[in-house]
Amino acid sequence: MTEEDEAAFDEFLAARSTALLRTAVLVCGASPHDAEDLVQSALEKVYRHWPRIRRDNPEAYARRVVVNAAISRARRRRVIQEITFASPPDTPVESPDPGLRELLLAELGKLPARMRAVLVLRYWEDMSEAETAAALGCSAGTVKSQAARGLARIRTRLATLEGVSA
Amino acid sequence: MNVEETLKEAMASRVAAVQAPPSMGQRIRRRSRRNVVRFRTAGAALLTVAVAGAVPVYLSATSGPAPAQVGAPAAETPESAADDIAVSGNAVPNVVGLRVDEVLPALKAAGFKADWKKVVTDGAPHGTITEQKPAAGAVAPEGSTVEVTIATRAAPDPSATPTTDELPQDLGDLGDGRTFGGVHFGYLPAGLEWGKWSGKNGFGDTSYTTTWDEPSKTGSGEYSVQAVVYQGKAARARRGIAKGDPVTIHGRQGYLGRLTEGGELVAERAEDNTLTLVWFPRADRAVEIMMSPTFATKLGDADKTEIQKIAEGVVVRN
Repeated sequence: MTEEDEAAFDEFLAARSTALLRTAVLVCGASPHDAEDLVQSALEKVYRHWPRIRRDNPEAYARRVVVNAAISRARRRRVIQEITFASPPDTPVESPDPGLRELLLAELGKLPARMRAVLVLRYWEDMSEAETAAALGCSAGTVKSQAARGLARIRTRLATLEGVSA
Repeated sequence: MNVEETLKEAMASRVAAVQAPPSMGQRIRRRSRRNVVRFRTAGAALLTVAVAGAVPVYLSATSGPAPAQVGAPAAETPESAADDIAVSGNAVPNVVGLRVDEVLPALKAAGFKADWKKVVTDGAPHGTITEQKPAAGAVAPEGSTVEVTIATRAAPDPSATPTTDELPQDLGDLGDGRTFGGVHFGYLPAGLEWGKWSGKNGFGDTSYTTTWDEPSKTGSGEYSVQAVVYQGKAARARRGIAKGDPVTIHGRQGYLGRLTEGGELVAERAEDNTLTLVWFPRADRAVEIMMSPTFATKLGDADKTEIQKIAEGVVVRN
């Protein structure tokens, strides 16, 4: 690996590592600390192949590696409740209803890992169905159906809540 | 209220405070150095895979349609300099230039094992070491493996055309490449030729491997079908890690699945997974067939049928 490769990798990390870490936190539902370990190990793979991939959309490759690692991790450890109980962020964004937010995250945490990954990539990363499919190594049809089912489950839960509070 | 929007907002709030630490690059590099050594310690399997399999998979896996978005603002790189932190271990001695019989004592004395690779070259005397990994002076854990490359002369063969490929030739000239490791491959998909290389023990003791390629791609490192024959201990070890849907080949149990680079099973054919069929024709024998993603894509929905036909064409000879 040349010095220029190394410098480009640092640039890549500076630009993308926080976003990748956030995606990992959302997909695997673990604490930021655990997710960091996961992202490091995934990025090591990126680093190993860096001279070859740096000019060929390394971000897409890195995201695919990170998301796959996060999915396996979520499956392995079945961390589904952690996302609910993790401490609230220091700088919360404006939200009309924190209770609703928590509820949504709790529901998100209960979905199967792959379905959750679809929702994170589609609605948080704003990726298209085709991009999400590429990142997850599945078809656009699968993305469509998984997203629809995931949203349906969350909607059902919301409807119940509104019913209760009304 | 729109569920998608609310969900997005909830996710954003969940991770608003999450920041990658500036030391991440440093930690990735340190981890990488450890793993590279572990990689080689694990045996030549990875070498073989890297030569025959991962390269084409890899090239295709990274040529996705999405446009590159990197290299954006050249942000500050706070930790690039502080990287040279020593890992515990021994310094690797310089063995380049030594003769084959001198290498092992030299490496042993420093606490390392050797892994061999032969290269046909006229650039160095026959039987001398031309390359080593890790390089001399690098620090590697005691007991890890140093990969050395030995210069050899091509066997005097009038029909042999000089090639630039550096693939191992552990089993010599296999003719049509269909018989090795005590196994004969009676069926191969149309249009494939022997890849003109073979590896021994890259997948454990005792194992043999080779590939069949499309003639236009021979020597490029891109394979179409790779087979590994495992005997004895290697066969038993392979049995322990078989994954996939159960299949039966002539009454013997096997597994068929699409495996990612990380060894995960996935349902659908894609550029980053390899259709793999492994079965156990005898207690002390395992045969594994891998189809490159490129070739599987070319076959389309016939890929699984073809890989099973290859398996059914296999005859164990001894």
